[in-house]
Amino acid sequence: MQPSPLVVLGALALPFVGAALTPLVYRLLGERTAYYAAAVALGTFGLLASQFVAGVEGAVHVPWIPELGVSLTFYLDGLAFLIAFLASGVGVLVFTYSAGYMHGEEGLLKYYATLLAFMGSMVGVALAADLVALFMFWEFTSVTSFLLIGHHQRDPESGYAARKSMLITVAGGLFMLVGFLLLAFVAGGTEIGRTFTLVGGEAVTLTGETVMLESMIGNADLMREALTASGLFVPTMLLVGMGAITKSAQVPFHGWLPNAMAAPTPVSAFLHSATMVKAGVYLVGRVRPLFLPELPTPDWMLVFATLGLFSMTVTAILAVGATDIKELLAYSTASHLSLIVAGFGFGGAAGVELGAETGAFHIFNHAIFKATLFLVAGIIAHEAGTRMIDELGGLREEMPIVAGITAIAALGMAGVPPFNGFWSKELLFETAYYVAEAEGGIFWLYPAVAVFGSVFTFLYSMKFLSLFFGEKPDALGHVHRPPVAMLAPPALLAAIALAVGLVPQLAIDAIVQSAFESALPPGVEAHALELSLVKLLDPTPYLGMSLLTIVLGAAAYTQYDLLHGAVLRAMAVPVTSPDWYYDRTVAAFGRGGALVDRYVQTGLFRTYAQAYLLSVAGLALAGYVATGAALPAFEGINVALPIVFVLLVAVVGAFAVVGAPSHVAGVLTLSILGFMVAVFYVLASAPDLALTQLVIETLLLVIFLLVLDRLPAYYGDIGRREGIQDVLVAGTVGVAVFFTVLLATGASPDDPIYRYFLETAPVPAEHGPFFFDAGGGGNVVNVILVDFRAFDTLGEISVVAMAALSVLVLVAMRGRGRGQDRPDSETAAGEVDAPASAHNGGASDD
Amino acid sequence: MTERDTTVIARTVTRTVVPIIVLVSVALLLQGHNLPGGGFIAGVLTATAFALLYVIYGIDSVGDSLVRHPDGFPIAILRGPTAAYSRAFTVGLAIAVVGGLGSILLGFPFLTQGVVFLEHVPLYEELEVASALMFDMGVYFVVVGALLTILAVVGAE
Repeated sequence: MQPSPLVVLGALALPFVGAALTPLVYRLLGERTAYYAAAVALGTFGLLASQFVAGVEGAVHVPWIPELGVSLTFYLDGLAFLIAFLASGVGVLVFTYSAGYMHGEEGLLKYYATLLAFMGSMVGVALAADLVALFMFWEFTSVTSFLLIGHHQRDPESGYAARKSMLITVAGGLFMLVGFLLLAFVAGGTEIGRTFTLVGGEAVTLTGETVMLESMIGNADLMREALTASGLFVPTMLLVGMGAITKSAQVPFHGWLPNAMAAPTPVSAFLHSATMVKAGVYLVGRVRPLFLPELPTPDWMLVFATLGLFSMTVTAILAVGATDIKELLAYSTASHLSLIVAGFGFGGAAGVELGAETGAFHIFNHAIFKATLFLVAGIIAHEAGTRMIDELGGLREEMPIVAGITAIAALGMAGVPPFNGFWSKELLFETAYYVAEAEGGIFWLYPAVAVFGSVFTFLYSMKFLSLFFGEKPDALGHVHRPPVAMLAPPALLAAIALAVGLVPQLAIDAIVQSAFESALPPGVEAHALELSLVKLLDPTPYLGMSLLTIVLGAAAYTQYDLLHGAVLRAMAVPVTSPDWYYDRTVAAFGRGGALVDRYVQTGLFRTYAQAYLLSVAGLALAGYVATGAALPAFEGINVALPIVFVLLVAVVGAFAVVGAPSHVAGVLTLSILGFMVAVFYVLASAPDLALTQLVIETLLLVIFLLVLDRLPAYYGDIGRREGIQDVLVAGTVGVAVFFTVLLATGASPDDPIYRYFLETAPVPAEHGPFFFDAGGGGNVVNVILVDFRAFDTLGEISVVAMAALSVLVLVAMRGRGRGQDRPDSETAAGEVDAPASAHNGGASDD
Repeated sequence: MTERDTTVIARTVTRTVVPIIVLVSVALLLQGHNLPGGGFIAGVLTATAFALLYVIYGIDSVGDSLVRHPDGFPIAILRGPTAAYSRAFTVGLAIAVVGGLGSILLGFPFLTQGVVFLEHVPLYEELEVASALMFDMGVYFVVVGALLTILAVVGAE
């Protein structure tokens, strides 16, 4: 059945509208805004659910930039529903939980508004079928999560974490954007035609019409052929993958995820379980059909399965080294995401279907148990007042219900049968085993590494659970029971986890089956996935792997402290520390930036002018050389006498500028040059240009005179070194301009555009009282500016307004930034920039 | 500027010339569709008239006599004339964008312009009204506002 456009767009718009209305609601409800936000999330969930229940699969299409093949297309299928349900469903619970957790905190208004916008962006990522729309929502999640992670604005650690996550995920997103552009470019060379539609088919538009959308995944074979033929297959895959692996915190980009725990715990629960990081694995699952041929063993598997298993192991080991419960959970998140990536990574005849099942099922399971555990961690921190693992223990006595909840979720995380995580991890073992069996040789490392990594998963899961058992440390005072608003959400999630663990078929039938089908290449027939407790009685190699994991894990748990210490020591070593690479890179950029400060942005206008002019001239000249532009042949001088005269005066004016003894004389003689150019325009029958030139010249003269009042009346003496420098700069710029004019006027296209303008600009000979297909004006220049190219002009006046704004803000705020390095240098740069760009805007208007 | 007195001649000439310049600039704005002119030129010309006032009368007296002082802006510099100027370019941008959006409401792409001929108008008989004029006005206000803002801020330094 086709989706209903209004419902889909409504579900998408609801969180954003809700976020926009939050200030108003907050004024009315105060702290109870949490329930309003939960209601908004529930609304989104409900709207989507209404589509899901109706068995919808298909696209909603709203044209956006049809010329470029960009549209707002939203595609609903199992995978999209799964992610969108997790985002909105866990959203409801997180908002409810926030009502208790964020009680009495500052900045609640910002918190709820941003969290709503964040949730909306995530739903957008899940539904977007157009690559541009996907990228847009993708970066929205980065920006909103930046705000959320940095919620405690005055806390420097919070700022560090927010910047780190932003830098890593946004940078990864930019790689991904390049990958998207390559995809669209390659699609343009095939019979699909240039499109940004990733996945589609029949789509309904807002007006209810049904159109056929050509999508990349729908024509995956064509796309793969074209990509391979142009040699772009691996680069594109890696570029798109960069977005996914930075977002889902795969090694070596796992550093940001543990820092993100600086956010309030409900946000962590949301980010780490159901949203932000899920965007990455979602993308892997989504583009999988595009890059994964059925046979033979593809590059896809070598990259993603290997990376996934490797980073699953590394981050699981790091989790064992964690001293803070949220840190433990954060590394564990990275580890489980890697498991999902590894699952989606498996390909070949053996892994294509099992891998998709692993990925889709584990997305579901992980979101459920990890959200539970984060909410539990929040309860512990809130009620016990500490998050340090060493200081906690025996919490079972005071919080029996929470202990039960934790047991269900932690055992699921550990992969102990029959809890929910077990089933999807078992699928990973199965996939790895069959892939190894099919490929043989070194591929046996896959199951071996999977087991090895899972041992650590078991270890840290048990550690987390142990917080509730054993003896209670004396230092820990009385621990309160959590309020109902904080208890109900994890309890509900744990109930779901338990149900799924005992009867996995529930989740499979509900959504997992359709979600994994979305991650299969077109043409692969999906089998019904069937799992039940009976399967546990079946002796299989992968069940053996599970048992081996548990036995090894239980054995290693007795030595937990030893392992913990070893990992901690390893994390202190720079090369193996998770933060080292990021810190070094950022520090290197800082040093590089300081160089720019020293040599380019010195605060002296001379240096700026030199840098800008030389680089522009250099680029232009290099461009001419690179494109092999040929100079037109010299045809003798054929200009009228008056023009020669005017130009001569201009030249004399130019020399006079150089020879002027004072600033005032210099400016005045410079305007001689300007006025002569204006006269030249008059003679060349361009009254509009002449008028503009005259007025601008006058205004510039006045502004100069205003400023000159502050400058010394006479030029200083110029040294030999500066003189030579100036001659070089002026010479280069002069040469560049000279060649530009020659080349620009020498070119004469076969189909000059002016004919079109001259024909369509005036009032047409035959017309009704109203027409819009012609300009309808006698002044072609102005008609072009305000009609044919109005969008350009709109951009230009925006630039002019922006320049004025920056002058206003920079000058007004100059006094405030003293003592800090950056604001000062920005002020200096802005002041020089702004008038220049204002003039540019004007000049291109001419 | 203020420490140096301007001559009586300059003051008198300015007083006469400034209204004429403004009038001319408005004429340029209105006739731009068919004759040399247009929002950009008109805007710059108006700004020139103000610049002349600044040079001759000084920044304070222009602020006092031309523009009210709205108080209560958070940024100190956003008082007096600068506030009015920045409002001018805000309004200008809004006019341009709203004009463009109007065409969307009528079902055309953003910024599509049209021309209407009004018949039987007294004095003119037939009057050509281009929707582009609205856009031109937007350009005019942006240019006037932006240039004057820059002028006022830089001049006040």
